Amino acid sequence: MSAGHIQINNIKKIFARADLNSTLLVLDEVSLDIRPGEFVSLVGTSGCGKSTLLRIIAGLETATDGVALCDGEPINGTNPKRGLVFQEHSLFPWLTVRENIAFGLRATKQYSFKKELVDALISMVGLEEFADSFPHQLSGGMQQRVALVRALAISPDVLLLDEPLGALDSFTRMVIQEELVRLWQERHNTMILITHDVDEAIYLSQRIFIMTPRPGRIIRELTLNMSYPRNRSDSAFVDIRNIILKQLHFATDTHEDYNL
Amino acid sequence: MTSGANPLPTLWELKEMESKPKTRMARLFDRIICALPILAAALELLQYKLRPNFRNFTTTDAYTVFVSFFAVLILGLFVASFFSKRAFEKLRAQSPLYTVVFLLFAAYDHATLKTGLLPLPYFPWPDRILNAIIDDRVLLLDCIGNSLQLLFLGYIFGAAAGLLTGVSAGWSRSIRYWVMPLIRILGPIPSTTWLPIILIVAASLFGGSVFLIALGVWYPVTMTSMNGVQNIRKANFEVARTLGASNARLVFRVAVPSAMPYIFQGLTQGMSVACTALMVAEMMGVESGLGWYINWQRGWAEFAKMYAAIIVICLTFTVVNMALTLIRKRVLRWQEGGAGV
Ligand SMILES: Nc1ncnc2c1ncn2[C@@H]1O[C@H](COP(=O)(O)OP(=O)(O)OP(=O)(O)O)[C@@H](O)[C@H]1O
Ligand SMILES: [Mg+2]
Repeated sequence: MSAGHIQINNIKKIFARADLNSTLLVLDEVSLDIRPGEFVSLVGTSGCGKSTLLRIIAGLETATDGVALCDGEPINGTNPKRGLVFQEHSLFPWLTVRENIAFGLRATKQYSFKKELVDALISMVGLEEFADSFPHQLSGGMQQRVALVRALAISPDVLLLDEPLGALDSFTRMVIQEELVRLWQERHNTMILITHDVDEAIYLSQRIFIMTPRPGRIIRELTLNMSYPRNRSDSAFVDIRNIILKQLHFATDTHEDYNL
Repeated sequence: MTSGANPLPTLWELKEMESKPKTRMARLFDRIICALPILAAALELLQYKLRPNFRNFTTTDAYTVFVSFFAVLILGLFVASFFSKRAFEKLRAQSPLYTVVFLLFAAYDHATLKTGLLPLPYFPWPDRILNAIIDDRVLLLDCIGNSLQLLFLGYIFGAAAGLLTGVSAGWSRSIRYWVMPLIRILGPIPSTTWLPIILIVAASLFGGSVFLIALGVWYPVTMTSMNGVQNIRKANFEVARTLGASNARLVFRVAVPSAMPYIFQGLTQGMSVACTALMVAEMMGVESGLGWYINWQRGWAEFAKMYAAIIVICLTFTVVNMALTLIRKRVLRWQEGGAGV
């Protein structure tokens, strides 16, 4: 597959803070080049601008300066080719689980021939019993799982994942991580994942970008050549984890005299 | 997916399990409360049949049948309450109200038929009012039909127009720019104010009245749906857009459903405005319907028939509002904690 090439060149994002009569620099000269079908992760401390970057790629936010391209075209508004799984509860409260998942299929006129896909996705995340429940009847983790498969349903070329598994227990999280790898290997779509869980980033991605605290900049890029499925207790795995944690630590702390 | 030995409780068993156990005394007290409406009905029946009437006031058995009918219904429920938890809960909750209603009937009967404390012709006793309804049933049914027709025509036009202006004004800033002044000017004026003008200008009184009712419904529905659309969480639209929703879909599949709790507030408000406008229109001009009936009977000083019409109006509007509540519950069943905003 050749679709799903994301190029970010020197992007800057400044937010207006109308109430404080000031502005806030959130992203500073961020550049990325993500190949079609690549799985990458963004890690960085809270508030460094990860969600903002993802929203720019999704087309929900425009960059103050710099260009964002998808397959060579400037990103201008949303497109179902670039799906986004939101960080926070984003289900439509007036639709059942099944209808939430079907929303994108209906919007892109695929529902009539992809009805079974909805059921397959529901069972993929283990929510068969809740298919006809409304979102307020689900736990936070269940809602996240629905939001994840809702975005998967329309098979976007680029899937933007903003901490999609944050509310899950570690066991369910591992199960879904495996599913994600399987789906990705099947579909070869581009995946851009934001996560606070360093292990998750290492388990899933081919490249990891580490960001500085606000204003967000990319300070380090790690390429992981381990084959899938990965082993979390592997020595390479552990080494990379240490590198990332160290980098994140230095990124948050100005004192560099700390010994690991 | 529960084990066979220990199946899940049903909804009713669960309620019982989670409620506090009651003492013997409390249970006895509950049973007494449940029996009270039957006692009150019996009391009223005894008074009606056995106490001598004031002067030469005459009565029929219509009222006896009426009271007995409800008394027997409640008796049935009382018997059922020993076997069904559900019937019991229902009766226990409603009993005090039923009791008071029967007692009020008894008190009114006492003050009119039995002692003449409240004089004729202004205060006919229940049996007389009941007979007025029965005697005039054909005309009354006809009036109900006419009133409902006018009410629903006006309501549907008004609600549709209100949804159109409200949703589009909530959605688009430039439409809001033009709709807001209109709302500001028309909003505070009760729609019935226009009646004299409509009486003169409208080609048909019926059409004019439909317009009048529609105008009264239009305002609250516009306000609430505009408000509802403006208050939608931005994230809902963002999610929908990333899933490929067109603008039409954003309006009809996102904005409208998520504004529904607000819209139903306007629809409920609009219904009470519509009922008022209907009565005014019928009393002032339209020559049919329940409002007209009251006015017409007033001309003949037929007080029993006027009361009869008021009772019929009350019942009709109650049924209409119950229907609206049912629709609302159904449409808003996705809301946490039922259908309250
Ligand atoms: N619409 C906005 N208006 C003003 N400031 C904003 C807006 N959105 C985000 N910000 C600011 O931008 C900064 C980065 O926000 P962002 O949501 O991108 O962080 P993040 O890296 O995703 O953090 P977290 O890991 O906690 O989700 C924050 O300081 C936030 O206050
Ligand atoms: Mg974020």
